[in-house]
Amino acid sequence: MSDVSWPTGVEPVVPIPGYPNTWTHTPQRPAIARAPGRTELAAPPGIARKLGVGTVNLAERVPGKPAIGQLIEISGRILDEDGRPIAGAVVELWQANAAGRYAHPIDQALAPLDPNFEGHGRILTDADGRYAFFTVKPGAYAVPVQETWWRPPHLHFSVFGPSCLSRLVTQMYFPGDPLNALDRILCSIPDAAAQQRMIARMAPPAAVGDRYLGFSHDIVLRGRNATPEG
Amino acid sequence: MFPTSQQTIGPFFPRGFIADADNDLTRVTAKAKPTKRGETILLRGTVTQQGGKPCVNAILECWQADAAGRFAAVDAEADPDFIGWGRTFTDVTGAYEFRTVLPGGFTDGTGTRAPHANLTVLGSGLMRRVLTTVFFADAAGDPVLGSVPAGLRPLLLAREDGKDGKLRVFRFDIRLRGEGETPFFDL
Ligand SMILES: [Fe+2]
Repeated sequence: MSDVSWPTGVEPVVPIPGYPNTWTHTPQRPAIARAPGRTELAAPPGIARKLGVGTVNLAERVPGKPAIGQLIEISGRILDEDGRPIAGAVVELWQANAAGRYAHPIDQALAPLDPNFEGHGRILTDADGRYAFFTVKPGAYAVPVQETWWRPPHLHFSVFGPSCLSRLVTQMYFPGDPLNALDRILCSIPDAAAQQRMIARMAPPAAVGDRYLGFSHDIVLRGRNATPEG
Repeated sequence: MFPTSQQTIGPFFPRGFIADADNDLTRVTAKAKPTKRGETILLRGTVTQQGGKPCVNAILECWQADAAGRFAAVDAEADPDFIGWGRTFTDVTGAYEFRTVLPGGFTDGTGTRAPHANLTVLGSGLMRRVLTTVFFADAAGDPVLGSVPAGLRPLLLAREDGKDGKLRVFRFDIRLRGEGETPFFDL
């Protein structure tokens, strides 16, 4: 099915040299093509209801007690492949704190936790497909593998679009960081332009104000924003 | 426009994103009353990597029709207390569990579909999500099962595994790579 395949160079090439988990987790057999039926085309209309949405400010969970780090606003639009905004998409963001540590039991890094920063939020896009979070710029962290490398500061995004095809889990990077070019995960995307599209842009202070440093980042989901047929 | 590339979900998908009833498809939310339609079942299994080692904090998303084979998005008669979607994570042994209803079969443009649930797996080391389908009974004739090489089809059948209390338990293990590798689909 040509309409479900990804454009050349956009998908990560796996397994990734130097990232041993990809050698043990990536299926050996190619994915099997199947005709898209009702289960594949429809998507649950109630995900936002089930999960609950509304956390926008990760940086200041308790008013007056901001997290440590560079306060940032990250905003942008969720679009379909025709560039049309996707309203009502569930957008999840999670990240390390400014020291590069996740508030997660699995993360045993030396870097300190910040009691004022938990680092995850979930919202719905508005009628223009727009989302925005206030947070802090995450720190870099080393991946605990034998030949380690440093993950550049990045945000994790999970997005639910209007169909199963448009479900996306991705990461966003910051412009100008020297670790970007060394990151085995970002660099697994073969097409240079596709890599660039994963890097946010600076947003002008005029649009954001003087409390938060602004970044903007659009995410394009697969599929056309059409109601799935029955 | 080009779609944004996939990246791994990583090892640290927040526990705070997973609420009590997220793996319970029989309730829309933790506070909602469970659906009255259909047979409630438990779908259990493990997610393992090469060599049978468990995948810890892998994220699974389950998506299925209601007990009568209907989807709310396309059928006004669908069960109003059932959205057909849930999410969970694997524990340190790689184990997961969904509480759901036995899905109904239906007919769509691809043919007559046997009772099934679609599962998405995301995890550390998985740069792209993987998608599979679990069937709950004899699914001969199902067009999706039919697209799988005959020798691999048994890998997509849930195995009935006794009862937990009054609920029937179905087991479905997902092996990402290597011996007994689960068949995965392109969408
Ligand atoms: Fe990360």
